[in-house]
Amino acid sequence: MALAAVFGYLSRFTTVPSSMTESVRATLDDDVLVRIRGLTTVLGGKTIFDQLDMDIPRGKITAIMGPSGTGKTTLLKHITGQMRADAGEIRVDGRNVAELSREQLYKLREGIGYLFQNSALLTDFDVFENVAFPLRQHTQLPEELIRNLVLLKLQAVGLRGAAPLMPSELSGGMARRVALARAIVFDPMLILYDEPFVGLDPVALNQVLRLISTLNQTLGITSVLVAHELAAVRQIAQHVFLIANGKVVAQGDPKTIADDGSPWTRQFFGGEADGPVPFQYPAGDYAQALGFAGVVK
Amino acid sequence: MNARGRQEGNAVTQALAQIGLCGLFLLTLLAAVPRSFRYVRETIRQLWFVGAMSLTIIMVCGLFVGMVLMLQLYHVLSIFGGTSASGMVVALSVYRELGPVITALLFAGRAGTSITAEIGLMRATDQIDAMELMAVDPIAYVATPRFLAGVIAMPLLACVFCAMAIFGGHLVGVSWLGIDNGTFWSNMTAEVDVHTDIVNGVLFKSLAFGAVVSLIAVFQGFTTPPTSEGVAYATTRTVVASSIAILALDFVLTAFLM
Ligand SMILES: Nc1ncnc2c1ncn2[C@@H]1O[C@H](COP(=O)(O)OP(=O)(O)O)[C@@H](O)[C@H]1O
Ligand SMILES: [Mg+2]
Repeated sequence: MALAAVFGYLSRFTTVPSSMTESVRATLDDDVLVRIRGLTTVLGGKTIFDQLDMDIPRGKITAIMGPSGTGKTTLLKHITGQMRADAGEIRVDGRNVAELSREQLYKLREGIGYLFQNSALLTDFDVFENVAFPLRQHTQLPEELIRNLVLLKLQAVGLRGAAPLMPSELSGGMARRVALARAIVFDPMLILYDEPFVGLDPVALNQVLRLISTLNQTLGITSVLVAHELAAVRQIAQHVFLIANGKVVAQGDPKTIADDGSPWTRQFFGGEADGPVPFQYPAGDYAQALGFAGVVK
Repeated sequence: MNARGRQEGNAVTQALAQIGLCGLFLLTLLAAVPRSFRYVRETIRQLWFVGAMSLTIIMVCGLFVGMVLMLQLYHVLSIFGGTSASGMVVALSVYRELGPVITALLFAGRAGTSITAEIGLMRATDQIDAMELMAVDPIAYVATPRFLAGVIAMPLLACVFCAMAIFGGHLVGVSWLGIDNGTFWSNMTAEVDVHTDIVNGVLFKSLAFGAVVSLIAVFQGFTTPPTSEGVAYATTRTVVASSIAILALDFVLTAFLM
């Protein structure tokens, strides 16, 4: 039984040239890995998504941008099935996330890597055990194989030497790379990055940037990147969605999107304080709030 | 004023809703027990944290409770010339009430708070979400092992507490105040009943207290808002809710068991 598990696991690693997988996959099913249709979500009386449609292409790096609090993290949580929408449908690799049973959902999640903004390493375990954690939970691989796999992944993110360190001993950039090693330990088909560049110094930012693009190119992993840094997004993403007010307000090539002339992109990428996204949080009449009502006029 | 009245009404319904949620959470925990058998090692690790690490405080407190109890009883009983019964009275009060109740209160303060704070911080740092996304059930991996560890540890800790209290009573009564050693033990063995005092008194009560305290601790950790403020409130609530639950349950159990 253990042997079967090993072979079952190793078959995931059988390397097919990525160009071939691409073409085979493209003929087998369509080029869209995540298809979102009519997504509507209301949280605490606030409409987060309003009939949102989005197609995330397979094998590419797609960036999702938008003002803070528009629901980018919430969108990722919908894709992984952590949160349910009030209406609409999300298909990941053809499967409707909302209709999956708990077991099927867990099966799907084994194919999805998720990089949290604050790394979310398990504080009880050292770096090695953090990366080994998914393997220990879902396989009965012999210790030696686990060791080799973990060291392989840590080498890929350049942190093999940090294996015995505890998460509290890592810098922000290192912790994020360890979390990345953990996210790719099962060679997922899809990785979701939630603001992976926040709080990194320029060197660490470039390291993470290079890793994301390398993983996408060498392993063909579809990547969804939530980020605010247009310069970084321009370097690696092939497509960008700008969401605001619960809808996709602009999309296209990250190199040209800033010049598409819409007020949304002008405000967001131009960094203007006021525009379609108001500077003022909704409030009552200003004069009245200050007690000047009737006095001014 | 109107708003405040509504808020107070809400406080009562909210408390009731909390109790209801806590009950549902218990069912979830119990349903996860078969799945958590895979994580036996995790349960044992938690048993070490909540059980073994609480030993010092339980032993020290047990010793002092036994000592002060003997001191008080000796003075009261000497009025009636009944000091020879003091060992027996110490034993009965410790077995029936003080042992399980004080152990549970200490356990809530020592282990309950750390369980709540730990789980709350795990949520605040997305560790629980990360497990969920790595297809590891956080209820089976985090909640149930801590709950089971509490249920197993409490009766054992209560036994240690009782033993230390008897020892403390012996120290003060026999070594200091000069009660005859033979009288101390023979009165005790004659009056203490294994079924009512040890099984129903110590073991059954502390099993129930262990379940209640660890349920409240795990529930608070899992349901608190994942912020530093939320975690701080949740640890306080664990102690308050546990203490009330322990004493109320103690009354109910005593009424039924005696
Ligand atoms: N569980 C929840 N209940 C109520 N509101 C929520 C919940 N989760 C998120 N929100 C709200 O949804 C909005 C979007 O949050 P989020 O997805 O974290 O934004 P972003 O990641 O784009 O900054 C925020 O206004 C937040 O307050
Ligand atoms: Mg976010």
